[in-house]
Amino acid sequence: MNEIQQNQRIIVGVYHLSKIFGKHFSLHDINLQVANGEFVFLVGRSGAGKSTLLRMIYMDDFPSSGQVVVGPHVSTRMKRSTIPELRRKIGVVFQDFRLLEDQTVFENVALALKVAGVGLGDVKHRVTDILMRVGLYHKRYDFPRELSGGEQQRIAIARAVANRPSVLLADEPTGNLDPVVTRSILELLFKINAGGTAVLMATHDLDLVKSFGQRIIYLEDGHVAKDSDMIYMGDLRERLDGSRVSERAERLEDRDITGDGGTRR
Amino acid sequence: MNVNQLRYVIEESGTMMRRRLGSNILSVIIMGLSLLILVGFLLITINVQAVIDKASEELRIYVYLEDGAGGAASRDIQMKLLGLEGVEEVVFVSREEALTLFRRSLGDDKDMLDALESNPLPDAYRVKLKPEYIRTETIKAIASTVEKWKGIEEVRYGEQWLGRGEKLVRGFYVADLVIGVIIFLSVVFVNANTVRLTVLSRQKTIEVAKLVGATNPYIRIPFLIEGAFQGAVASMLAVGLLAIGHVFARRYLPGLLFMRADAVAGFVVLCAILGALGSYGAMRRFLRF
Repeated sequence: MNEIQQNQRIIVGVYHLSKIFGKHFSLHDINLQVANGEFVFLVGRSGAGKSTLLRMIYMDDFPSSGQVVVGPHVSTRMKRSTIPELRRKIGVVFQDFRLLEDQTVFENVALALKVAGVGLGDVKHRVTDILMRVGLYHKRYDFPRELSGGEQQRIAIARAVANRPSVLLADEPTGNLDPVVTRSILELLFKINAGGTAVLMATHDLDLVKSFGQRIIYLEDGHVAKDSDMIYMGDLRERLDGSRVSERAERLEDRDITGDGGTRR
Repeated sequence: MNVNQLRYVIEESGTMMRRRLGSNILSVIIMGLSLLILVGFLLITINVQAVIDKASEELRIYVYLEDGAGGAASRDIQMKLLGLEGVEEVVFVSREEALTLFRRSLGDDKDMLDALESNPLPDAYRVKLKPEYIRTETIKAIASTVEKWKGIEEVRYGEQWLGRGEKLVRGFYVADLVIGVIIFLSVVFVNANTVRLTVLSRQKTIEVAKLVGATNPYIRIPFLIEGAFQGAVASMLAVGLLAIGHVFARRYLPGLLFMRADAVAGFVVLCAILGALGSYGAMRRFLRF
């Protein structure tokens, strides 16, 4: 951990992390590091522990043993009062968007800046800027229910990056979206990543992400099964769901997403 | 918390109260009416106390001298009386004067006194005490001291009357205290309940605010403001209703006093603090920090 703190390249470090719920290991001896500006997919089936691991990183929950290091914050030495500080350095988006229904698009994004104590003039300026970047400035006075799922996720992403976090955690951000919209959201995440923000995106959908050429960490039954930039797909696919490989392969062909989109970066 | 955050927090509490205006108004009315009972009793107490204080000021100790006590001995007693702690004024009432007063007080029956061959009344000193010494214990102490002196026949004062007045006032204070505790508790509970509902209705907002890095004060202060505001408005409602009642009551009791301005201010502040306390209690139970 000390060498990590000295090493400015690592923004998220997870060391020998275990989490036990009741008598069962939910996560077992997890080790992984995400470098500044890196894009990492965290792939695993539902229940593999992806969400739990992400929650440990944004410190909504704490490991039973081991530790998480995010920038200068160390989970084992974390005080409740410094959690807000950490949260402003981490953006988080979820499958269900978690927008405030009673507030406009603008207010939803502004919230992140307001809690950080940004002045009202700057809030207006920065929210405008972010909404332009996600392409939804014209919908700033709309309420979330008036937007499509993809638009809502864009707003959620805009809110997550409003404080210019060093890392963006995305927990199944495309889980509720159709393939076309999914692709546009992924493109947005890549765009954000290109701006220097590290992205750690959890997904159950290996087919979706394998062609992008990004690093993939494979989580299986609560431990890291494989962590590699160049992962051997066939092997993983078998593990993911051996009996349904062919079915998935068929679906894969229907999807445009593994085509040009993958070679984009 | 910087100035911007403070501003957002205050705006947020305003938004929060507007969104739940109906239930806020309802709980303010409930609290206001409960507090009205309390301030009503306090007002009665203030007035009873005032009446008794006024009556007590009229209280005098009569020191009757033995027959035949000479002028010198009498003057000596006067000096000694004046030297006692708490004595404000000592007036000599001669037996003749006393008889005239007695005759006057009898009115139409004054002829009865004509049957007397001689004046049966003794000379006396009428002792007036300083207001702060007009209490059963101090008067009793003075009376028993004076009674032991030479040349004193008897010392009299309105002991029964005084005791009763003090008991009455004390009774009112105890009642105020009991009512006060009950009503303040109910105010805190009503308040805690309203805030609890607000907290529950804001659960998602709180969750999201925490996710994007809101500090605990940022989340808590709007609720504290809501509670304090409710308490303050409820207490003003109570005092306002009481003032209206007071205006009507004065038609029949012109001397009726109202709470002093500083007491009203103190009461409003106290209720605001209790309101905030109720909120704090509600948050401790329903916000997981």
